[in-house]
Amino acid sequence: MTSEEIVEKVKASLADAIQDTALPQGDAVIFVAPDCLQKVAAFLKDDPSLKFDYLSDVSGVDYLNEEREPRFEAVYLLYSIDHQHSIRVRVGIEEDNPSVPTVSELWKGALYPEQELFDMFGIFIEGHPKNERLIMPKEWSGNPLRKDYPLTTETVTFSHNRDFKSDLVKSKPPTR
Amino acid sequence: MADLKENLHTDHMVLNMGPSHPATHGTVKFLLTLDGETVVNLETEIGYLHRGFEKMCESVTYSNVFPYTDRLNYCSAIMNNIGFALAVEKLCDIEITERCKYIRVVTNELARISDHYTNIAAAALELGALTAFIYFVEAREIVWDLLEKVCGARLTSNYIRIGGLMCDLPPGFDEDLKASYPKLDSLFEDVDNLLTKNRIFIDRMADTGAIPVESAISWGFTGPCLRASGVDYDVRKNHPYLCYDKIDFDIPLGKTGDNFDRYLVRMEEIKQSFRIIKQAMADMPDGPINVANPYLRNPAKPDVYARMEEMIAHFKMVIDGLKPPVGEVYFPTEAANGELGFYLVSDGSGKPYKCRVRPPSFTLTAAMGEMCQGGMLADIIPTFDMINMIGGECDR
Repeated sequence: MTSEEIVEKVKASLADAIQDTALPQGDAVIFVAPDCLQKVAAFLKDDPSLKFDYLSDVSGVDYLNEEREPRFEAVYLLYSIDHQHSIRVRVGIEEDNPSVPTVSELWKGALYPEQELFDMFGIFIEGHPKNERLIMPKEWSGNPLRKDYPLTTETVTFSHNRDFKSDLVKSKPPTR
Repeated sequence: MADLKENLHTDHMVLNMGPSHPATHGTVKFLLTLDGETVVNLETEIGYLHRGFEKMCESVTYSNVFPYTDRLNYCSAIMNNIGFALAVEKLCDIEITERCKYIRVVTNELARISDHYTNIAAAALELGALTAFIYFVEAREIVWDLLEKVCGARLTSNYIRIGGLMCDLPPGFDEDLKASYPKLDSLFEDVDNLLTKNRIFIDRMADTGAIPVESAISWGFTGPCLRASGVDYDVRKNHPYLCYDKIDFDIPLGKTGDNFDRYLVRMEEIKQSFRIIKQAMADMPDGPINVANPYLRNPAKPDVYARMEEMIAHFKMVIDGLKPPVGEVYFPTEAANGELGFYLVSDGSGKPYKCRVRPPSFTLTAAMGEMCQGGMLADIIPTFDMINMIGGECDR
């Protein structure tokens, strides 16, 4: 199916669950609310003419700096190996207590990326067997990929600039 | 007899394997629950090589992302370059030149060959076949010498640019390539003879780490691991990018999806990649390698110093960077281990608002638990080798 047909079909079958659709650069994109996600995902996977059996990735976006609501978004990239077509499902998530239901019962490949979504954006995954950090250390605080998480640099200890003295060098006890 | 069993320790044993284990490459930890030598449960812990790829990309311009992509899968750096370049080009709607497409295909396939060499060599080494390792590392060195002639670097190539390439192929590259084929073929032949019919190797590889087709698709397997299960899915064939639609090549498929099939698929892919390179070199058209618009691709240095418009464009490109239209894009490519895709979000500025990479080995590593459960402890080694988990790509 072409992207237009996919979007039309999904819109016709699940009119109340789909918030909006788009076709950027010819890709099929649908916008879904978090509480409808599992219903839409099950339909996309089970419908014989769509049959999105392969979830290629789940990622998150933080739209803090943009003039838009809601703040977070989870993006699901789906592909059908039989029909060779793809769709992108975008789920807007509120800023307060962000959470989204899991789709790992449909695609096991969602387990790791969803855990990463929790780790990097602090979005709680309802029904996920492991709501804990995946990539960052367990004792880490903060969610690194949020836009309000500062990108810091490591302070250097030594430099080829002769006048440079780092804190470590300054606080070094005097040698004899 | 009953008394004897009461006094024996028959509980499960919990064992940490890695990260400082030769077979886990220092980048992953397995928490094993063992019943004797049988694996009851395996939990994977990743993140030891996390460097904040996405966060770094959000702070630099689009063209400055390329050196970071080199360090995702360092065995086939050019493939990551190409994946990112194609995603940005789709976002900006840039049509690259015909010669550029062919050069990208040649370097892409050279990178694929070097990745498969590394994978099979490391797998053979960890199963005790040191000779095969030495042979394939020698072959890989020849391929890297060729890549060094093209872009000046062996591993971190940084060769591809948005809308073109860093430079054209060096003069005499075709001859160098042709001169290296006999040596590469004989090394391939040697390794093939050493491993493919080797009793010990087959015993370790066959019927280990197998996974049913439905499970493989559900876990999001791609690349040689999926094709070893018999699923005919290759992005190069299904959604041809660059000039793969004009080139004649076959996709090897396995039957059982065990480690030995994964090995055979990779060996055949090396042959097919050489076939692609030979055709692409023969068909390569002449012409420019970069797009003509100086606001899309940094103009050539002589033009920058001689012409006004190019000088302005150069300044704008270096200071502000390329500014794609507002939007989002996902572009999948077929890397050596599977689908490598970049998901970009642009807010109209010169820096990516979001740059997510979909690494192939991330999803494969997630399935380690299912693949190893019920098998022997020693089967973890070939299984982990054949999914070819690269720390830089998995942890980003």
